[in-house]
Amino acid sequence: MPQVFPKGFNVLARVALLSLPLLLSGGGIAGAAFYRSDYTTGTREVVEQPVPFSHKHHVSQLGIDCRYCHTSFEKSASAGYPPTKTCMNCHQQMWTSANILEPIRESYTAGKGKPIAWTKIHNVPHYTYFNHSIHVAKGVGCVSCHGQIDQMNLVYQSKTLLMEWCLDCHRNPEKNLRPTSEITNMLFKPSDVENKLTGQPHTQASLGKELKEKHMIREASVITNCSICHR
Amino acid sequence: MPPEHASTTAVAEPEFWQSVDQWMDTPQFREMVQNEFPEDAAEWVDPVSRRQFLTLMGASVALAGAAGCNPSLKPASQRKAIPYVHQPDQILPGVPLFFATAMPQAGGLGLGLLVKSVEGRPIKCEGNPNHPSSRGGIDLQALAAPLSFYDPERSQACRMGETATTPDKAIAAFKDALARQADRPLPERGDSIRMLTEPTTSPTLIRLMDEFLKRYPAAKWIQYEPIGSANSRKGLLAAFGKPLAPLYNFEAADVVLSLDADFLNGPGSVRYARDFGSRRKVSTVDATHELEEKDHKANPKSTAHFHPKWEEIVVEATEGMNRLYVVEGALTGTGAIADHRLPLKPSHVELFARALAAELKVDGVTAGTGLAADVLAWIKPLAADLVAHRMHAVVIAGEHQSPAVHILAAAINRKLDAEHAPLQYIVPPTAQPNADAAEDFKSLVADMKAGKVNTLLMSGVNPVYDAPVDLEFGKAIETVKAAKAGAVIHHGLSLDESATPLATWHINAAHFLEAWGDVRGHDGTACIQQPLIAPLYRGKSLIEIVAAAIEFGNTEGQALVKETWEKFFNDKKITGETPTFPQYWERAVRDGVLAQTKVDFPVAKVTDLGAVKLDKLTAAGFTQPAIDKLEIQFRPDPVLYDGKQANNGWLQELPKPVTNLTWDNAAMVSPRTADELKFTQNFAWTGGERGSTETDIAELTVGGRKLKVAVHVQPGMADNVVVLHLGLGRERAGKVGDKRGFDSYKLRATDGLWNAAVPEMRRTGERHTLAIAGAHAAMESRRPVRHASIEQYKNDEDFAQIPPTSAAEFEEIRMLTPGTIENFELNGLKHPHAHDHGDHGGAEHDHKAHDARLKKLSLYLVNPITVDRDEATKSYRRWGMAIDLGSCTGCGACTLACVAENNIPVVGKDQVMRGRAMHWIRIDRYFSIPGNATMSDELGAAKIGPEKRKEKIKNSAAIRTHFQPVPCQQCEKAPCEVVCPVGATVHSADGLNDMVYNRCVGTRYCSNNCPYKVRRFNFLQYTDYDTGSLKLLNNPEVTVRSRGVMEKCTYCVQRIRNGEIEAEREWAKTTADGKPARERDIHGRPKIFDGEILTACQQACPSQCITFGDLNDPKSEVIKVKAEPHNYGLLAELNTMPRTSYLAAIRNPNKNMPQGA
Repeated sequence: MPQVFPKGFNVLARVALLSLPLLLSGGGIAGAAFYRSDYTTGTREVVEQPVPFSHKHHVSQLGIDCRYCHTSFEKSASAGYPPTKTCMNCHQQMWTSANILEPIRESYTAGKGKPIAWTKIHNVPHYTYFNHSIHVAKGVGCVSCHGQIDQMNLVYQSKTLLMEWCLDCHRNPEKNLRPTSEITNMLFKPSDVENKLTGQPHTQASLGKELKEKHMIREASVITNCSICHR
Repeated sequence: MPPEHASTTAVAEPEFWQSVDQWMDTPQFREMVQNEFPEDAAEWVDPVSRRQFLTLMGASVALAGAAGCNPSLKPASQRKAIPYVHQPDQILPGVPLFFATAMPQAGGLGLGLLVKSVEGRPIKCEGNPNHPSSRGGIDLQALAAPLSFYDPERSQACRMGETATTPDKAIAAFKDALARQADRPLPERGDSIRMLTEPTTSPTLIRLMDEFLKRYPAAKWIQYEPIGSANSRKGLLAAFGKPLAPLYNFEAADVVLSLDADFLNGPGSVRYARDFGSRRKVSTVDATHELEEKDHKANPKSTAHFHPKWEEIVVEATEGMNRLYVVEGALTGTGAIADHRLPLKPSHVELFARALAAELKVDGVTAGTGLAADVLAWIKPLAADLVAHRMHAVVIAGEHQSPAVHILAAAINRKLDAEHAPLQYIVPPTAQPNADAAEDFKSLVADMKAGKVNTLLMSGVNPVYDAPVDLEFGKAIETVKAAKAGAVIHHGLSLDESATPLATWHINAAHFLEAWGDVRGHDGTACIQQPLIAPLYRGKSLIEIVAAAIEFGNTEGQALVKETWEKFFNDKKITGETPTFPQYWERAVRDGVLAQTKVDFPVAKVTDLGAVKLDKLTAAGFTQPAIDKLEIQFRPDPVLYDGKQANNGWLQELPKPVTNLTWDNAAMVSPRTADELKFTQNFAWTGGERGSTETDIAELTVGGRKLKVAVHVQPGMADNVVVLHLGLGRERAGKVGDKRGFDSYKLRATDGLWNAAVPEMRRTGERHTLAIAGAHAAMESRRPVRHASIEQYKNDEDFAQIPPTSAAEFEEIRMLTPGTIENFELNGLKHPHAHDHGDHGGAEHDHKAHDARLKKLSLYLVNPITVDRDEATKSYRRWGMAIDLGSCTGCGACTLACVAENNIPVVGKDQVMRGRAMHWIRIDRYFSIPGNATMSDELGAAKIGPEKRKEKIKNSAAIRTHFQPVPCQQCEKAPCEVVCPVGATVHSADGLNDMVYNRCVGTRYCSNNCPYKVRRFNFLQYTDYDTGSLKLLNNPEVTVRSRGVMEKCTYCVQRIRNGEIEAEREWAKTTADGKPARERDIHGRPKIFDGEILTACQQACPSQCITFGDLNDPKSEVIKVKAEPHNYGLLAELNTMPRTSYLAAIRNPNKNMPQGA
């Protein structure tokens, strides 16, 4: 019986066998990377909105505080979307005939009112119960999860919102704590606060450690329990 | 000394059993116990029933995946956020609001509610703590109301015949009829017009009713309900010469005798259960405190620590206990918690009452003849006990007993001076209190048939379904329609049996959650019925229709109600805290209770009442002749009541108290009667499908009418009685309620509304399958429920700690029950109530070594059970629950509250028969047969053969019933957690056994390993994702589960977490004087106050059986309860350390009674 494969194939077979683990682990890594990619998580995906509302303009140029529109983030699980009335507080006076504001005016004036359907950017699954109020009460600033909103024209999701990302902070909350007075401050740096022990400006590490105690943040073994977020 | 007990080596008769089958120890039952999970249980075996199931539930599997998780790789742009245009002031998105309102229930009486509203949709009813009929508790009808409100089959439009029309046109038809009366002389106006409505207590409706009858004096307004208090009204009218309604105060009642009265179910029962339950609770911790305080007062200078004796403590603790005697034909929840229960034919109750009155020397009453000797044996000791508690004893006659029984009860109560405290008479708060509703209804039908009526408006009633069958109401409607310009207008929530096309017009009604109104509670207190939402289908309420028809000023509901109370406010010259009407009104709407409205109903004073007149006692129409052969008793269904909410899946699927029947009713007979009539019932324990019971269909003949109905053998019932519940067998209720069970109204005629002789009840040879939810999980002879009389408790402090199979380790077992004193000591902690417990340690404990019951279970010389001390102490909140078995009446409110709170799906009869009901908290019902000489149950008696068993179960008087609500026990060492391959059930730091739905892959290992069988698996797609209106009902705080996911009680973790968030959020807030706004707990954390977090079951429970709280809070109620010696952990000997524990029932029997103490 003639040999089917030439001798050179031996090398090929050995290489193939040896690279099999490499391929498998490579595949695994690729899969994991894909799972975390912007494409899958929706990070940095810019979505069209009924009105191209610019946070950059309203926050960093006009200096409007987050609370002005998102009224309930200190009291409720939901941060709250502003009712049309909030837009019209100003836009009854200014840019009253701008074309891009037409949907706002229509919403406000139509019969009993026609709500605007904004597209939701930050989505967590239905079985996850995120509560804004407790996070801000314990000193997690808006920017920690939402990113530099003041630099975004159209808002996009700047973090992955994967469970590992949540847990990362629930395990080590120090990394994201700030004084409760600075919650909405997009430009806050830990060095703005003086470390009373050393007289030096704080680092995030020293500030976080201090605030974790001061804000009575619970142990990681408590706030990583499943039922803290899943009910 | 503790009693000696037989050894448990033989296969003994079970001490507690859940079904006749288990008692008889049939081979099928044995097989079921051994083969818990049969093969192929998860497979679709019969495609036909699957299709039916899907039609029934309207669910679709296709969309199931899409709704459960986010299917897109690009999550953004998938969901919309739609804010308000103008945000209402009160609404904070994500924070539910509660509004006070009231539900008009049976007899027109209102139950005050707080309704949870999420972004404008009402999703759950809870009791209003301000309302005297509720005090925070709630009943099944109100709990199920939101589902009826969102029922997709509610009538959504007005109709003329089969065609949809507008409300204006329908009201115009009524107005036309009224307009035709305009040119007639005033006294004749309206003589062809009849109004037929539910009984009402609404002051606004009564105002409109008066106005209507003033304008049309010849018209008649009839209040009708199939089940009502007509007999009581009639009896009291004869006894006192004026219309009166009894109002009981169980807080002041030491001894209660119920003459066939199921007073813990029906109008006023929520408050009654609460008051009654408050006197069934035994706290030796409190008693010890009191004794110590007394001692301290007596000897203020003594420094020695005072240790009261155990007997003294029990005497002190049980001093306030009441005693309940129940005489009844059926076996009810009220009967089940009685200290003494006598099964007696309903038609013999009058004889019993007569004999008792004669024994009590009520003037003019002589004892009749015809009572059996064992019944007569009750009379003397019972009368003696009642007399001994004069002024604090009360006799209650059942609504379905003859007027004569009510007269006798009034006479006995007068003799006992019950009017001193436990009993009051009030003027009935309903409209037209003088009317004889039954007679009025009869004459209405006669008028209709005689052609005297050409316009009939029916509102909220369904007489075609539930009127006495001999009146032939349907035919009467035809006559009205055939009359010149005849019109029958039906006003109701659904197109039921009485609606179009039988009626000419149908006006869709507004549900009480969407309409303004007012209603009075069982004691006459008025409250505002406030709408939670605008009418979903533009329905109208009755007050709006009447006001529109008679053109009575403003016809809008709110304005009408406001007018009524403005007039009241001005008439009564109300001052005080709310000096102006807008303030008064606002307060009334907010609190749900109208201040100073009870004064409208002056409590009739004994002196005003005069003597009890007995002249009607033997008159025809008042007395019920005794029926010696087989008799039938009709009773309202304990869950569906009269059947109005029959299209409600929550109610249909809720296991009925005592019988555990779902989706059906049945003719219930005692084992002896079943045996005589040769009925058999097979518990089809096939393939692990536990819950289906095959039974005979009997043909019942009553008054010449015949009905085929399934038979259910119910131990504990009186012999020769058939009990048939009303409210099922609907024809036009909707997909859920149609053809469920049997229409017992078909047998009910005017001459036998409650009782009738049954000349024949014969087997038809046909069989029917009943879905009986009980007995899904038999715990065999492990003493799941424990109880003792006061006397037994005195003699044996540790009676509740003795499981029959184990026990030398009973102290260890108690250590394994979190919250107990022993558990604290094990953890090196000091229990806050340990010192209160008296000196029972040391030498006194030695006697236990000789206790015959104690057989060491462990093979180890030193018991290896230990507790990880760290685990128990490091978490700063440890949630725990205790359930008092002594006051549980098995009503099912906890189960239904849990369903509403936790989005628990309805599965349908077929699935219940497979043992797949999803209720997170089930109520296990056990029967037991106490020994002859004493009231104590025999622990594992000798093995007896089937013949002897068959005889024993026939002794109905000996059957004792026990209820045990079983939610997840939240074991500290949970067997379910260690077997989950994917970590979908894990422990939280505060001791909850978390269930993570999104991790669950459905292996069901956890359920397999759960000794309590409290885990529920979504075998199919039970949740309805499609029906739009039902989506609105879901609680947004709880994940909606889909197929293939395990679920179970979470201790309402959403409430715990929200409570924690609220407390934790306030860490920095301070009051004006610099103190923290929220107190700190012992760990220095923001304190969660006891009672701030209530589980749904705890909140709903009318008799306050459930205590829940933080075991690390030394002042919490739950820790006090768990320190009781009669607190025990279910199957705690398995080392599961259940956080839920039970308080053994303590009963208060009278040792002079025939069955002794």
